[in-house]
Amino acid sequence: MNTDKHGFKTILLRHETILLLVVLLEWFYFNSVGPRFGSVDNTFDIMRHSVEIGLLALVMTPIILTGGIDLSVGSLLGLCAISFGKFWRDAGMPIPLAAVCTIGIGALAGGLNATLITWLRLPPLIVTLGTFSLFRGLAEAITRGADTFTNFPASFLFLGQERWLGIPAQAPIFILVAIGIWLLVHRTTFGRSFRAIGFAPEGTRYAGISVERRLAMAYVLAGIIAAVAAIIYTSRLGQAKADAGMGYELFAITAVVLGGTSIFGGIGTVHGTLLGVAAIAVLNNGLVHARQPREVAGMLTGLLLILALTSSIIPKMLASLKARRQTSATKPIIT
Amino acid sequence: MKKHFRELSVAGALAVVLIGLAIFAPAFFQPQPLLSLLTREAPTLVVACGMALVIISRQIDISVGSQFAVCSVCAGLLAAKGWPLPLVFVSSVLFGAIMGAFNGWLVAGLRLPSIVVTLATMVTWREALRWQRQGEFVNLPDGLQWLGLSQVAGQWTLILAALVILVFLALATKHLSAGRFVYAVGTDAEAARLAGIRPQLTTFSVFVFMGALVGLAAMMNVVQSPQVDPKSGSGLELKVIAAAVVGGVAVSGGRGKLWGVFVGLLLLACISPALTHLHIEAYWEKAIQGAIILLAVVADGLRTRKQRN
Amino acid sequence: MKNILSLLLVAGLAFVSGCGKSDSSSSGSTDSAGGKKITVALMPKSKGNAYFISCKKGADKAAKELGVDLIFDGPTDPDPAKQNEIVENWITLGVDAIAVACENREGISTALRKAKAKGIKVITYDADALPDAREFFVNQATPEGIGYGLMDEAARLCGNEGEFAIITASLTAANMIEWQKHIEVRRADKYPNMKMIALRPCDDLKDKAQSETTALLSANTNLKCIMAICSPGVPGAAEAVKQAGKTGKVKVLGLGLPNENKRYVHDGVTDSVILWNTEDLGYLAVYSANALAKGELKAGDKKIKAGALGEFDINGDNIMLGKPFIFNKANIDQFDF
Repeated sequence: MNTDKHGFKTILLRHETILLLVVLLEWFYFNSVGPRFGSVDNTFDIMRHSVEIGLLALVMTPIILTGGIDLSVGSLLGLCAISFGKFWRDAGMPIPLAAVCTIGIGALAGGLNATLITWLRLPPLIVTLGTFSLFRGLAEAITRGADTFTNFPASFLFLGQERWLGIPAQAPIFILVAIGIWLLVHRTTFGRSFRAIGFAPEGTRYAGISVERRLAMAYVLAGIIAAVAAIIYTSRLGQAKADAGMGYELFAITAVVLGGTSIFGGIGTVHGTLLGVAAIAVLNNGLVHARQPREVAGMLTGLLLILALTSSIIPKMLASLKARRQTSATKPIIT
Repeated sequence: MKKHFRELSVAGALAVVLIGLAIFAPAFFQPQPLLSLLTREAPTLVVACGMALVIISRQIDISVGSQFAVCSVCAGLLAAKGWPLPLVFVSSVLFGAIMGAFNGWLVAGLRLPSIVVTLATMVTWREALRWQRQGEFVNLPDGLQWLGLSQVAGQWTLILAALVILVFLALATKHLSAGRFVYAVGTDAEAARLAGIRPQLTTFSVFVFMGALVGLAAMMNVVQSPQVDPKSGSGLELKVIAAAVVGGVAVSGGRGKLWGVFVGLLLLACISPALTHLHIEAYWEKAIQGAIILLAVVADGLRTRKQRN
Repeated sequence: MKNILSLLLVAGLAFVSGCGKSDSSSSGSTDSAGGKKITVALMPKSKGNAYFISCKKGADKAAKELGVDLIFDGPTDPDPAKQNEIVENWITLGVDAIAVACENREGISTALRKAKAKGIKVITYDADALPDAREFFVNQATPEGIGYGLMDEAARLCGNEGEFAIITASLTAANMIEWQKHIEVRRADKYPNMKMIALRPCDDLKDKAQSETTALLSANTNLKCIMAICSPGVPGAAEAVKQAGKTGKVKVLGLGLPNENKRYVHDGVTDSVILWNTEDLGYLAVYSANALAKGELKAGDKKIKAGALGEFDINGDNIMLGKPFIFNKANIDQFDF
């Protein structure tokens, strides 16, 4: 059993190492073709542009570790953004109170996902497909599509647009959440149970762990973090609209899978996800400096994803080939 | 009756909607607009059948929208070059099959997870097409629309073609061994392998078949108007997956009936024109769509829960 | 573990070495004076949009004539923050001038103000930002002009009375919301016997516009006119009217590209397509951006000269391209875009 764990660890190590190399390669390449790429300004740009997606990817990691998925986080970001705007503008709440209420909305929405997935044992893919439409639809219905929220006070816009102690103001929040989720996944029993649930939900249940409660926690957390991301997004853009965050869920899933987390669950790390976010963010930013059109970024991301998947499969394939050669004597009786 | 409970309940929901429309907006049932609506949905039905097979085999394919766009544009360009219609049809199906084969190779051959593979191919095809085409429509030569027939004849041809495909696939999944293999692989791939079925080959074939159906559907869409919009097929994957799920296809694989998918598709396709006829504002559409998907799955879950207890 | 540590060390070193590069806070050619090539960055509302590709054609022409380096890039997905991100990337890149067609008025202003603060010249074209975020707006027609023009033409086609429906791209598109407001103002003011009975989005898809129009025609038997204010909507609506057999009975007009509508105009399905010369718009945008960057264009100027197109009036801070142009059977074949 010990050698198995060591085997897995080697695979993990290898995947993240490769990914780190990819990020470094990207960095070096863009540095050479874009004179302004490596500057502090640009690095902060990369940071600021990837905070919301990064938050979603971070919170998607424990969910995917359990073998689930959450397609609704992007739509939830939109719903929370306009809720925030509505609380502040129409209900007249001060910003901090509006923020707290928005996080409440996020938790409720996450709770809806959680209830349907844990209580009714429905497949996460389908539940979150439904809430993906529902949340975005509610955002559009509440604003009648046309309403937007702007003219936020400068003290609020500081969060998304200015620097605090020399770094972008939203970075501390991101770092805190990143550390929190890393600790949750890698250092707590909760985290270990997420992996266990991903490997074998029934086995985990027999082991006495409350699978339902852990799963629910993961989805509610996703809702809360989506709300936080929505607030940061609104502050960065200076505007809250119903179509905020469109497409972010796919981005987040890409980052998580790029980072080495298996979509089937059980395998994955938070630092892998962070590297995945970095890889995509650096790529998108660098291509502008390399004077390449946006479409190239999309195509390369797709290719990168396939390469990442293929590279993580190679050790498994080699192992299974070896195993197959050993057991070729035991062919199925019925042919 | 119990065996088909799931599909019948969706049919029941559809009946409720139609009765409601009959009472509050009888104008919905005029023959010509209904014919147009069904013709517009015919390509979607074809893709939904393919998607049902994919989901039954325990995979998923979210790249169908991008495949649809690529096939439509390529077919349009060939037609504009003067290629004869049958050849254009075959080419479109071929393009789709090739893209499907690429997906299939990665999923079945390299054992990569289908949701991520098709996510990657979806983005890649879409961006490549956008880069190449930059939104420009493809103008088709005259005589291509409605396959050269009159409008009504062309519409009936397309609707019947879609229904024939539906019936054929429904029967094939029941009676052809290839069809049963798909269900077997979706239920338990290992058991299927031990029974002599080759799960990887089945999975690969399902993806190729999906691609071919997308190519066919793209052609069915192309002949409905004199121009091809390179953005066509946008949102198709969501539509067909929702139709399959609402129609009773289980995402865990191995379960689902094609005629359930048909009813599910009709139900979801009704939402938009129903809103127009009931004079309800357009911004409710997404919310209602999401609610229907959730209601369908919740109903499933409640029933299974009752069975479990 | 050791491997990871050593790699992290290497990464850190690389990062630090990269950071040593200059991050000058001003734009690239503050001391241009004919030495360095001026870089103009032009942004469409989104990529893959035939309307903006025709703007780009004019922009390329202007860039060639002026010897200017033109960057053309924009968002490929619908998230509102993407335009901001690209603008911010351009700021760091150090372009001399930015010309943006704004999807979100207030949102984009956040990024444009930053560009202005860094000394980059900012103009908008096609769709404006907030006035304090940019120096000039290259206006092909005021939202008022477009809205009034559409309403007037619709009224003319319907004999000043009857029901009409509007097909828009999406309910959230800022400039279309502007146009709808002005359409309504004009209607209430001059055509009280005309009624707008429905507003449906087509997600900028021709096929969806067709479905929506079919449903509208079926649900409203008194419908006299379809006004499609997004370019894929015009051929989509026209095809639906044609297939419903209502050519001539239900009028179709809208804002669209000539090439996409020639067929329907000649068949008598679509009566008028209103637009402006999009190539000229791109051409003028680049000329204005260049003039601003070189200091030849200043606030308070009343006219600007743009190469082969001649002189254009400046109305306050709006550089006027001219009036909207009506394409119809008589003239649509003269245009190729």
